[in-house]
Amino acid sequence: MNEYETKMLLRRYGIKVPEGRVVEKLEDVESLNLKYPLVAKVLSEKILHKSDVGGVILNIQNKDEAKNAFLKIHEKFSTPVLFEEMAGGGVELIIGVLRDPSFGPAIMFGLGGIFTEVYRDVTFRVLPITEADAWDMLEDIRGSKILKGYRGVKVNREAIVDTLLKISRLVMDNGDKIEGMDLNPVLAGENDCIVLDAKLIEASRQ
Amino acid sequence: MFSKLFNPDSIAVIGASHDPRKIGYVVLKNLASHNYRGSVYPVNPKGGEILGYKVYKDVSEIPDVDLSVITLPAGLTVKVFEDVAKKSKFIIPIAGGFGELGPEGKKMEQKLLEIAQKYGARIVGPNTVGILIPSTGVNTALIVPERSRFPEDGVLSFITQSGALGLLTMDSFAMYGVGVHAFVNLGNRVDVNENELLRYFGEDPDTKAVVLYIESFRNGREFMEIAKEVSKKKGVVVLKAGRTSRGGKAASLHTGALGGNDAVADGAFKQCGVIRAYNEIELMDYGRALAYGKPLNGKRIAVVTSAGGVGVVTTDYIESNVHGVGLKMAELSEEIKRKIKEEIVPFASAENPVDMTAQASDDDYDEVLRALNEDPNVDAILVYALFQTPLISEKLVDIIVKWHKDGDKPIVVGTIGSEFALNMFRKFEKNAVPVYPTIERAVKALRVLYDRGRILRRWNE
Repeated sequence: MNEYETKMLLRRYGIKVPEGRVVEKLEDVESLNLKYPLVAKVLSEKILHKSDVGGVILNIQNKDEAKNAFLKIHEKFSTPVLFEEMAGGGVELIIGVLRDPSFGPAIMFGLGGIFTEVYRDVTFRVLPITEADAWDMLEDIRGSKILKGYRGVKVNREAIVDTLLKISRLVMDNGDKIEGMDLNPVLAGENDCIVLDAKLIEASRQ
Repeated sequence: MFSKLFNPDSIAVIGASHDPRKIGYVVLKNLASHNYRGSVYPVNPKGGEILGYKVYKDVSEIPDVDLSVITLPAGLTVKVFEDVAKKSKFIIPIAGGFGELGPEGKKMEQKLLEIAQKYGARIVGPNTVGILIPSTGVNTALIVPERSRFPEDGVLSFITQSGALGLLTMDSFAMYGVGVHAFVNLGNRVDVNENELLRYFGEDPDTKAVVLYIESFRNGREFMEIAKEVSKKKGVVVLKAGRTSRGGKAASLHTGALGGNDAVADGAFKQCGVIRAYNEIELMDYGRALAYGKPLNGKRIAVVTSAGGVGVVTTDYIESNVHGVGLKMAELSEEIKRKIKEEIVPFASAENPVDMTAQASDDDYDEVLRALNEDPNVDAILVYALFQTPLISEKLVDIIVKWHKDGDKPIVVGTIGSEFALNMFRKFEKNAVPVYPTIERAVKALRVLYDRGRILRRWNE
């Protein structure tokens, strides 16, 4: 499932994702109807680490830049390009899903970026989760203080809990189709919680 | 459903031996020396007599039994298995050389399962040291009695995937007078697994807490459901070892890579009310805390000691999150502080930790424990019973036991020292007081009782 399809699935479960359009031809950039600044991303389920291969262009301010971005990505990868409105501010989170050999589908939560990559500061629960489980997850990580308002950055913790519960529901409804999922980063702000990048790996059918 | 496994009226030992170095002899010796009261039917083609038991030449000669222990090697076990299954409710094939060796062995043990199911028998194992039930004298474990100790009857039920680790743990705790109600080594777990046993011990009135050593769950989701039910009634502690490697496509995701160790199991335990232990000492310590102690309703701990330094180190361990458990030292109420300072021990410090100093007597402890039991600012008491000073006697044990049994506040006891302290430890243990031989272990037990309180509040929400 490519990023756009994954985000549409998330949206069906009430999980916030940025406004976005898939563009296949240069002409379509004319009718994007999105609020600048934008981000352009290579749209392919085969490319998991888009920015490592130059598949992401940030801070697109106008139509001309959007056209250039489209051409650049399209020429390099020969794929459609996903344009999205950019979001910023708040705290970066990672939310993930995996299938554990003993416990089945499980959800992961942590602070994104170096907190995940260096400190491995994440916590897991077996799905489905209750609201109490979701609150426990926020408390579980070593960086839990950061979610309680650190250096003036305010975070809506209810929105995070709500997002975790919606992902729980999504996975329980589609569990046998999902092998794994990375929502990274998820931006937690003062008002809401928005999934900026989403990767979903479908379960292979035997 | 397992009552005839743990309390069998009759036991057959298939492969009974005259050779004291053989497991077929040791099992009989164990039954004899643990006063097993049921009928024993040793089977060996040579016949004769072993340890006073008449030996039968063939399985066909013995009557139906509740339990058969097969002490033969894997190949022979398979050979006799059908004859044994016809006569037995439960079968413990001790031998290794089955599924743990690979696909061939896996096939052999599947064959055992098919045969057992055909005759309605249940298997514990194979590749197991079997079971140990002190109250009924059933003991199939292969260890040299001269160099090890078996536990007495107790209130912990112990389910373990590793026989050796289980026996070593019980051996080291037997010295402290810590008993078990039941010990079961799952071995290769071809039939009876941890989930059924956990459910059984959950219902068993003689089991006050269940402790498990698990390397891999047979069915993790089912375990969670059962553990959640059991944990509403009694404590469950798991020492989970072994890391699962997660291959496949999902490993390319962050989540897959981060879940590669047992992080998921850790979350699962929190969801189903299981307390996690990280080594065999914690496993038994936490099991005893849950079996004997009262759950905490809050974090505020009052500490009573006659040794100032013990109080200081304890304070660090209680309050710190690093090398500590993240609880709180109680702010004693003014009224209680006044009482302690003016009426009971004017020579002592009435701040928390309450330092009774070497001048304190047994009766002083009694009065201080009475006062702390009345303090609304205290959620639990950690009292050190230190017998090295002249005015303290064995009577202190009775006083603390009294407050443990009759007082409202949860009590954990620390007792530090050598042989004398060890003897006092055993006295506390006999009275089902959560007692620990070091500061760290006592404080960690408090934390477990705090966690237990949280679990119970969660289930009652």
